[in-house]
Amino acid sequence: MTRRDLLHTMGAGFGMVGLRDLAAAEFNADPLTPKAPHFPAKAKRVIYLFLNGGPSQVDTFDPKPKLTEYHGKPIPAGNLKTERKTGNLLKSPFTFKKYGQSGIEISEIFPKLAECADDLCVVRSMYTDRPNHEPSLFMLNSGEKLPGRPSMGSWVTYGLGTVNQNLPGFVVLCPGLPVLGHQLWSSTFLPAVYQGTYINTEEKSSERLIQNIRNKSLTREQQREELDLLAKLNRGHMAQQGSDPQLEACIQSAEIAFRMQAEAPEAFDITKEPAQTRERYGDTDFGRGCLIAKRLAERGVRMVQVYFGNFQPWDNHDDIMIHRTLAAQADPPIAALLHDLKASGMLDDTLVIIGGEFGRTPVVEVSGLIKVQNGRDHNNQGFSYVLTGGGVKRGTVYGATDDFGFKAVENPVHIHDLHATVLHLMGLDHTRLTYRYSGRDFRLTDVAGTVVRDILA
Amino acid sequence: MRAFFLACLLGGSAVAADSDFFEAKVRPVLAANCYGCHTDTQMGGLRLDSAEGLRKGGKSGAPVVAGKPDDSLLIQAIRQTHPRLKMPPGGKLKPAEIEAIAEWVKAGAVWPTGPAPVVSKTPEYVITSQQRAFWSFQKVRKPAVPVVKSAARVQSPIDNFVFAKLEAQGLKPARPADKRILIRRATFDLTGLPPTAEEVDGFLADGSPGAFAKVVDRLLASPQYGERWGRYWLDVARYSDDKLNSTQEEPYPNAYRYRDWVIAAFNSDLPYDTFVKAQIAGDMLESKDPLQYLPALGYYSLSPEMQDERVDATTRGFLGLTVACAQCHDHKFDPIPQKDYYSLQGVFSSTELSKEPLAPKDVVDKWDAEKKALDKADAKLKEYVAAQTDQLGSILASQTARFLLASRGLGPADDLDRETLERWTKYLASSKKDHPNLARWFELAGRNAPREEFEAAAREFQAKVEDVNEEKHLVDDKNKIKLGLDPSRNDMSQADLFSLSIDNYNFWRDMFSDARSDAGGALKTSAGVYYYSGKQIDRFLSGEWKRQLDALRTTAADLKKALPAQYPFLQTIKDRNPRDLRVAIRGDVNNRGEVAPRHLPSILCEGAPKPFSNGSGRLELANGIADAENPLTARVIANRIWLHHFGQGIVETPSNFGNMGARPGNQELLDYLAASLVEHGWSIKQLHREIMLSSVYALSAEEIAANVAVDPDNRLLWRANWQRLDAETLRDSLLFVGGNMDLQAGGPPAHFDEKNRRRSVYGFISRRKMDSMLALFDFPNPNNTSEQRVVTNVPLQRLFMMNSAFVEDQASGLAKRLTGTDDERVRQAYRTLYGRAPNAQELQLALGFVKKNSWNEYARVLLNSNEFGWVN
Repeated sequence: MTRRDLLHTMGAGFGMVGLRDLAAAEFNADPLTPKAPHFPAKAKRVIYLFLNGGPSQVDTFDPKPKLTEYHGKPIPAGNLKTERKTGNLLKSPFTFKKYGQSGIEISEIFPKLAECADDLCVVRSMYTDRPNHEPSLFMLNSGEKLPGRPSMGSWVTYGLGTVNQNLPGFVVLCPGLPVLGHQLWSSTFLPAVYQGTYINTEEKSSERLIQNIRNKSLTREQQREELDLLAKLNRGHMAQQGSDPQLEACIQSAEIAFRMQAEAPEAFDITKEPAQTRERYGDTDFGRGCLIAKRLAERGVRMVQVYFGNFQPWDNHDDIMIHRTLAAQADPPIAALLHDLKASGMLDDTLVIIGGEFGRTPVVEVSGLIKVQNGRDHNNQGFSYVLTGGGVKRGTVYGATDDFGFKAVENPVHIHDLHATVLHLMGLDHTRLTYRYSGRDFRLTDVAGTVVRDILA
Repeated sequence: MRAFFLACLLGGSAVAADSDFFEAKVRPVLAANCYGCHTDTQMGGLRLDSAEGLRKGGKSGAPVVAGKPDDSLLIQAIRQTHPRLKMPPGGKLKPAEIEAIAEWVKAGAVWPTGPAPVVSKTPEYVITSQQRAFWSFQKVRKPAVPVVKSAARVQSPIDNFVFAKLEAQGLKPARPADKRILIRRATFDLTGLPPTAEEVDGFLADGSPGAFAKVVDRLLASPQYGERWGRYWLDVARYSDDKLNSTQEEPYPNAYRYRDWVIAAFNSDLPYDTFVKAQIAGDMLESKDPLQYLPALGYYSLSPEMQDERVDATTRGFLGLTVACAQCHDHKFDPIPQKDYYSLQGVFSSTELSKEPLAPKDVVDKWDAEKKALDKADAKLKEYVAAQTDQLGSILASQTARFLLASRGLGPADDLDRETLERWTKYLASSKKDHPNLARWFELAGRNAPREEFEAAAREFQAKVEDVNEEKHLVDDKNKIKLGLDPSRNDMSQADLFSLSIDNYNFWRDMFSDARSDAGGALKTSAGVYYYSGKQIDRFLSGEWKRQLDALRTTAADLKKALPAQYPFLQTIKDRNPRDLRVAIRGDVNNRGEVAPRHLPSILCEGAPKPFSNGSGRLELANGIADAENPLTARVIANRIWLHHFGQGIVETPSNFGNMGARPGNQELLDYLAASLVEHGWSIKQLHREIMLSSVYALSAEEIAANVAVDPDNRLLWRANWQRLDAETLRDSLLFVGGNMDLQAGGPPAHFDEKNRRRSVYGFISRRKMDSMLALFDFPNPNNTSEQRVVTNVPLQRLFMMNSAFVEDQASGLAKRLTGTDDERVRQAYRTLYGRAPNAQELQLALGFVKKNSWNEYARVLLNSNEFGWVN
């Protein structure tokens, strides 16, 4: 029986019972203990920068000259069906330029990130199954349109555990909450230990970021005395009532918790960073999120997901010009993060993912739900994702949308394919990372997904 | 060759029926212009990429009449001679292209890739006798009780079934548990709370043979029993006090009435078959009290909302069948045809949400009427204020030139509205120099131009303001005509409307709009210069206008004040026009196949299932599930009961009794329990008694090395399992020993804050945001039916126990309960928490600790102990 099999059994809903003896070592150990991947991993950790709301591909990473040329005219083949009524083609108000040796074209609203062009892999042919926020948010985060499946971060920590036992393995940072909130990092039927630990980055005091991280009335020494007495009583209890690996595990986790109190607040404390660094990230919610993400990654947190903002900022139905304002907040910290990861060498084994739940239409929205017609409706049929870091082919563009940027037509990448690729980079075979629940083996990629080999370094 | 054959059949002309002609002149045109919408997307239900698609046609009918282009919808559409269908949208094909397609239709519209595949009716799904022979589909038969060697320890047939298995493996059962351990186990099991010291003492002092039976009966009769066991059912029922609304909180204000009904059902030992029937068809059951079973419909009426999982909740919850796996195809592992899914879904789509007011009709009618009047008054007020805002905007706009000049001191300010003038000054100061409409003004200001130039510029600017205001009104009026009165959200999203240009809109917004918050609050624009609303508008109104505003406000305020809280109601379901669904081929709702008559899952029927005939069919479904002959229902609930006593089901996948589920560890035992349950009129309490009065239930957690070697997971139940207190039991027990528990039963839920001292089952359970403590201790996600809890052990749980204000409060509560000498206090603590006296070493450790530390700290250590947090 392999370690994985043991864990598998443990998760199969046996409750405490499946854990006895043979499995004792597993329960005894924190379930977050690092586990060997299926094969050598290119990336050891993930930072997922989630631009929630649906950033427009044709205004960011997917330039379309034809869109400018045919501005104001109808799409000859007709509009694809999206959530709301759309009209004629709407050119991007932003200009694109080629950057770096690779010559990747990037919009003027991401000037700093553009300077990293040679490190980026721009996938221009992403697609999901639904043009609405909720199903697409669920898809990007759990692979399924409906609630009930574990999030990607839960799968990753389930598969790999985490290096630093004094910090949660999967951390989610957001100022306020994205649409669907906590459901997006739920572990659902995976053990709750794998759910994302949510941190509201509107809260600036690092001590308040993690619940119960400090005892408000005890000194460290006083607390140590409490724990010493507790350990003695627990040993005595086992001597009388019989030992059990689960009881032993609870004694261990109290000790881990004690150590965590010392380390965790420091990890979230960005005032420990030089002023110049903080300035580069920007004193914005997302800037703080990216900087915390860097500190957590440095300390071995397996996956950090940073949501751009409360609710769904990138959902610009009315006016695509708002993208400029949003990008002005997103661009500096993303570039700073990539720069710092590269400088420390961590970019070589950190996977960074940048993108939202879908893209936007190249045609203008004309529905009655908006105030003015200068924006774009949701578009799940073609949008861009940017990847970089461990195991990702740098300075490359993969896939393409049609002439106007509506539908992914060349090398389309479904969410399952993205997930399969992310797991692959983490050293996990998406078809083997399974969890038996209620009689069925579940996967992040359900019954689909193909690793996109062409974007692997 | 095949193409030729078909062409002959259709009697086509030689040239245009040729596949070369099709490939050269027809297919490329279809591909370039039609495939965008008429392949996979199937707009209008039409596919134009296969012979079959062409033959089947779409919503408007078959697109092609072979040989008759003029009669063919396709040709009419591309010629754009059809009154409605003009294709492709937003353009017209070239005349030569149209001609070629017409020619092809005239020649017989031959699709050269071959004739449409012969579509035979889907073969009837047949359940094989081998599938029927699967253990869980066999009728429950009470098995013969096996003879065992350790007969001396047998208290109940349950023991025979368990001991027989142990003996077959050469294992010995563990010794019986101490009485103190046993009463603690039984009390947690049945009530989710620890026994009091007095209860423990009483049981220890009772040497009669029926002492434990008395304890069990006392616990079963306590109101706390239903709170514990009702909660187990609520896991299955994915109970929640709110909907999973993606953007805002949306509580179900009366959800608790279902929760309370479930608790009451357990407390009154409602027979399980009735319990099932009430939840599926409580509105159709006969009862003297018409409200008796209605609250039970919450099982469906309180669904998560974001998906239709009613088939899943029904079949996994009551039957242990995963019918939802057959939504897109026949079940891969169990004898569940896809049609069965739609057959059951048909029952629920023939059902709709409803409300049952819990107040007399006159009260309900009065409230509804008053609410309607209030809504109307609010709308009227809003409309009046909006009209005044608009009117005022236009009036102020006509003074724009004067505001501009006054802002530079070039004109009088005395008779201008002072606030508006201030707004103007602010707006000018904050505007960019390249403002599309003010650039000229700034240019003049830059060179301190002569007054005449400023006056001309101001007039010009005023004209622009008035123009944009007029344009906005025109656009709004046109859109109003398009949208009609009171459009639905869907109408709005699909309407093709007019709009200002973005520059004009931004200009209009700066002048006339209210303040806006965009992009999740990331962007805010302040109110327009000429925008006044709400109370701001008052100072501009006088005489009759003001009097009218005041009257409208008074009316609305009075109505609001007079409106009492809404009458209570039950959230229920009821039948609506019953109809069968069609199978969604590959789960695609736009691609419907054959009709799926409503009936029980085929595997539960002998021979062909009998279609339901009574309304939606819910009552027939309920009766079919709750039938004593149903092989699944009694087994599934007996297994759930066993699971919660032993921490482990006989079937370890409690909601999946199918092929992919686990096999029963001891089928005879399960069948015995199921049969016994039915025999005793589906009494759950009787089942508890039977289980708890067995020797197996009373085993200790003793470790026996020889047994561990053979059965380390205790699958055969040779000893008791260690079980950690679940989230609610932990919270409730902490409150209980801290002396802070409020045992008030039932009623609306309260959020889990420091003031909430009621049992956790009465707390607000949220699908949107689970309480953090519940989530930390493995409470299930209520967006789906949950079969059992997964237990985790993480440092964050210890942090909660070590540092949270909640545990601190309970520790100090416990410390306050301890009185007397130090020695006496320690003894009291042990009695309260563990029901025993401390041993010498424990006493000594305690006395040493409290010399240096507080009693609060000592109490917290005890609350953190494994002896408190685990049951054995």
